[in-house]
Amino acid sequence: MHRYFVLPTTLPGWGLLIAFLAVLALGLWPVIGWVNHAPGWLGMPAIVVWSYVVVFASCTVMAIANRFVDDDAGSGDD
Amino acid sequence: MTSSLPLTITLGYVLVVMAVGLHARRGRRMDSLEEWGVAGRSMGPVTLYLLIAAGSVSAYTFMGAPGWAYAKGVPVFYVVVYLAYLALVAWYCGPRVWAFGERFGHVTQASAIADRYQSPFLGGLSALVMSVGSLAYAVLQTVGSAYILTVMSGGAIPVWLGVIGVLSCIALYLFVSGQRAIGRTNAFQGVLMFVVAWAVGLWAVHSATGGWRFAAVFDRVRDEHAAWLSLPGAGGDMSFRFWTTSVIVSMLSFMPPVWTQWMSAASAATIRRSATWLPGYYLVILPMVMVGFIGIYTLPELARSDTVVLEYAMQHLPALLVGLLGAGTLAASMSSCEPFIHSVALSYGKDVIQPLCGLSDATTAQLTRWLIVPLMALIVAPLAIAEPGSLVMILLVGLGFATQVLPAFIGMFLWPRASRAGVIAGIVVGFVVTTAFTTLWKHPLGIHAGFWGLMANLPIFVAVSLATRPVEAAVTERFFRIAAPHWYRRRGEQAIRAHNTRESAARGD
Repeated sequence: MHRYFVLPTTLPGWGLLIAFLAVLALGLWPVIGWVNHAPGWLGMPAIVVWSYVVVFASCTVMAIANRFVDDDAGSGDD
Repeated sequence: MTSSLPLTITLGYVLVVMAVGLHARRGRRMDSLEEWGVAGRSMGPVTLYLLIAAGSVSAYTFMGAPGWAYAKGVPVFYVVVYLAYLALVAWYCGPRVWAFGERFGHVTQASAIADRYQSPFLGGLSALVMSVGSLAYAVLQTVGSAYILTVMSGGAIPVWLGVIGVLSCIALYLFVSGQRAIGRTNAFQGVLMFVVAWAVGLWAVHSATGGWRFAAVFDRVRDEHAAWLSLPGAGGDMSFRFWTTSVIVSMLSFMPPVWTQWMSAASAATIRRSATWLPGYYLVILPMVMVGFIGIYTLPELARSDTVVLEYAMQHLPALLVGLLGAGTLAASMSSCEPFIHSVALSYGKDVIQPLCGLSDATTAQLTRWLIVPLMALIVAPLAIAEPGSLVMILLVGLGFATQVLPAFIGMFLWPRASRAGVIAGIVVGFVVTTAFTTLWKHPLGIHAGFWGLMANLPIFVAVSLATRPVEAAVTERFFRIAAPHWYRRRGEQAIRAHNTRESAARGD
């Protein structure tokens, strides 16, 4: 019986894991704390703009990840 | 506003959505759970995209979120962040869930849990407890639908009539077309909501500032209400801790309808393609929230913050846009209500009644379709009409439970050693902690109650799993050959090498 947690098995797999975690970090403390104190961008509060930076970062990381997974398999590069 | 145009447009929307829902069946037989429950696993990327997007955009987007912006300010944007992260979760878990369903015949979340842990009891239990939050959510959306009809009709349609009308409409096309109706109606509703939100938001900005720039609204708010424009917001209650833990708890809530949506896809790749662009849909929230910010200085005396968009529209927008807003808000509440009612009926039939009564698949499929009627007539409608004060609390506790089922999913996607006892122990402890910190001592130290629940839940889950008998190897192998094939193969090769080394050593080679 496997006692270990699933981890990536390839270099691209590790890269994608790190990229996903980095995108998660963008929307959480402490990053959100730094953004909160930033001056506004484009006349909008920094946190409003940043929320949509997170949105587009999420799309980008998934679009990149799609290039590394098998199209028909149920799973990606674990 | 005395024009009948808003009500005409809103009722026109109801007729169109009925036609779309009924037409979705298109000659298919709805006598199997596979067809009625998960649309024969046939949905393409565009339909799936709009199904998931519209399903996650509820009346909250058109009423609650602008209300939050009005009352608290930028803290409302945590919703945008966690919805984007839900897409990441869908990207990773969705294709795996689809493959489980396709290969093992699952049509519900609870049936996947029962199969992974070889426990119909655990499946039935999770179906029942998940239904608490799901039904409370469906009730709140129904309340929102009826409220819109009442407002649009100037009080001529009372709440009770609105509730019965909306639920009858949903019941009809859900019974006839099942998940296909949800897919088609959500696709229509998703497009409608996006167009309406931007039309209303831009018009409101123009009417409030004379221009089209959102920045002009913030300039005005900045002058007089600066606290609204940074955390912790006007109420002072969205600290960084609460923001962070709320996002984490929300993104880890695996609600049953989402699971059903994933299993309705035509392929694993379809889910990935849809999830990839899903966060972009949440641009729908920005214009509605802008109306909330406008309300801060144009409607300073509102009694209920969640009426800010409707009040502003009634006072400042043309009747055509008010009608479209009514249709859009109704679309938002109906598109979220119907998947929850459908998934509860599906899970009650498949995971509770079928194992208890030993019914055949065909009988279960028939029974499940009919279950939506008593669910609506005996639970959703009476609660939506009575609107008990404890409803929001029931919803919060129900959603708190949804997050505490996380160990069951860790055992499916990430950790083969998870045991049935470990999952049950983790869920029970997490649920007790979450409930206590939701009702008795609310969010201690500014940390979300669900996060406290997870901090108690996960260590117990791991410890009890390691101390108890694992699920039989053939079952975990079946799941992890799908969930993590490369990792599983590599681990297997390492285990064989280690075994051979030990044997060689024992022989004294």
